[in-house]
Amino acid sequence: MAEMWISMGPQHPMTHGLWTLKVKVDGETVVDTIPDLGYIHRGVEKICESRDFTKITTYCDRLCYASANTWAHSYIYAAEDLLEVEVPARAEHIRVIAVELQRIASHLIWLGAYCPDIGNLTAFVWCLREREMMMDLLQELGGSRMHYNFPRIGGVKRDLPIGFAMRARAKLNLFLDRIQETEQMLDESTVFLVRTQGVGYAKPEEMVNYGVTGPNVRAGGVNYDIRWAHPYSVYDELDWEVSVERPSIKGADSYDRYRVRVDEMRQSARMCLDALDKMPGGAETHYTEGDPMILTKARERAEEGKTGFHHFEDSRGESMFYLAGGGEQRGKHPYRISIRSPMFITIPYAAKCMIGHKVADIPAIMGSFDPCIGETDR
Amino acid sequence: MGMKINAEYAEESAQQIVDAAAARWSGTSLHAEVRHHKSGMKLPYVFINCPKNHWRAVAKWLRFEMGADHCSMITGTHWPEGPDEKKWEVVAHLMRMNVINPPERGGWTEQVIRDPAILQDDDVPMEFEISISIPDTRNPSVQSVQEVWMGADWNEKETWDLVGIEFDGHEGMRRVLQPHDTPVGFHPLQKEHKIRYHDAEIMYDDTQGFGRKPADDGKVK
Repeated sequence: MAEMWISMGPQHPMTHGLWTLKVKVDGETVVDTIPDLGYIHRGVEKICESRDFTKITTYCDRLCYASANTWAHSYIYAAEDLLEVEVPARAEHIRVIAVELQRIASHLIWLGAYCPDIGNLTAFVWCLREREMMMDLLQELGGSRMHYNFPRIGGVKRDLPIGFAMRARAKLNLFLDRIQETEQMLDESTVFLVRTQGVGYAKPEEMVNYGVTGPNVRAGGVNYDIRWAHPYSVYDELDWEVSVERPSIKGADSYDRYRVRVDEMRQSARMCLDALDKMPGGAETHYTEGDPMILTKARERAEEGKTGFHHFEDSRGESMFYLAGGGEQRGKHPYRISIRSPMFITIPYAAKCMIGHKVADIPAIMGSFDPCIGETDR
Repeated sequence: MGMKINAEYAEESAQQIVDAAAARWSGTSLHAEVRHHKSGMKLPYVFINCPKNHWRAVAKWLRFEMGADHCSMITGTHWPEGPDEKKWEVVAHLMRMNVINPPERGGWTEQVIRDPAILQDDDVPMEFEISISIPDTRNPSVQSVQEVWMGADWNEKETWDLVGIEFDGHEGMRRVLQPHDTPVGFHPLQKEHKIRYHDAEIMYDDTQGFGRKPADDGKVK
């Protein structure tokens, strides 16, 4: 049978964004794939070169619409590394809570978007209902519902609102009950199991070689998480365990990637509850001298040739910011800002996973890698 | 359970890599040292200043002898005002993830759960930052490490696309983020391309925006 190329995207429910997957098919079987990205490239790296260190957070929020807080924090840690800023312990605990709530919300929107792809519409409504609780908590912290602009260089925007701890504990405990319901529904759904089990095998050592990180690589049985391997913030003092899956010898399939994310949501809730318990008292949530002082110091602290970088466990894998200071000449702006996007590296690998499967399996494989095109194209 | 790596063991492990680099690359201008983050990440990392012509050999050494099995990011910087020997810079960030293939039993792989507190020597996860300076040229290039880490593939594509540094030996180089019909030789992160307000402090002094004019006033429709 003649082979032919099919263009899936840029407008296709499988893509979860705006990109094209060119698929070469032999009958029903995929024999080759080429991902084509860059449809929403906004030049964030170039824009940030002409913005103050403190103003870049806003752009980083908008890198990923489903996981804004993790990206803003990812930048802030790199900027603090460059500008040599100490952060009070209370602010670090608040940051952990903000990031982990965002991770739960991000995984829920992933599950909510993935299940309708493979024919389970109920999960979409259930996941969005639970995500709403996380969004309410994040709204209390940051003041808006999607782009919080919450962290600051040296701390966080504001302290926890009055009664936040009580409401957060109640909602997280309710969430831990409800995620069990969702899990039971999906694990007993024949449609879900048939569509996800046995498709999109990904070998652990191959994933590491390709640079795949985060839940996708942990689904392959690789116990690797930036939060314990290269500790930052207060993750090494909290009570949690890395969620690692136990895949078959063929590698991690879509079902394993779903399992590991559900478990990660539990661990995130556990981390939030523990951080609320261990949070030191007081109101010290910001570097004492504040933002304007940081900016005036940027000229001398970020001298030419000095760099700062930070690896961060984003909801989708390892995100990373690399900043180079420009010294007197560039003043308050970074000279170069470079962003590692986990999905930019993962999408080419995910496209390789499809080879040998049927065309109908493409949404079930691609969706399970949790693509987010906002951060991919930057 | 706290997931805590022993800081002393991490320090030792980083020093071992630096010593090994000094022994292996003594004849070259390669320079390695242990560095610490000023804020954020708590454990030390290894910084390597690598001569341009040895990059692929150093990469293979890091991958197969030092266990740096994960290529996190490769990026480039254009320094038009920098010293002559460093007008361009390629920076690679690597990680030692220490992936041992999970053991197999009865058709299933066992999880590798390790206690972070007892990790020592080669087992400690480690970060590497490698800086490669390129002297003044219009056609900057370094060796490609695509064959060492497949993960370097798209990183190098992106660096060429945006910064314009070529990677010798890279197969299938193409535009990834910019449109396919972008003019040859246009790489937006080179410093001669300026966006509006690039050098204008007036953006902050004149908050109301009266008297604000973009740098390319009159030139752009």
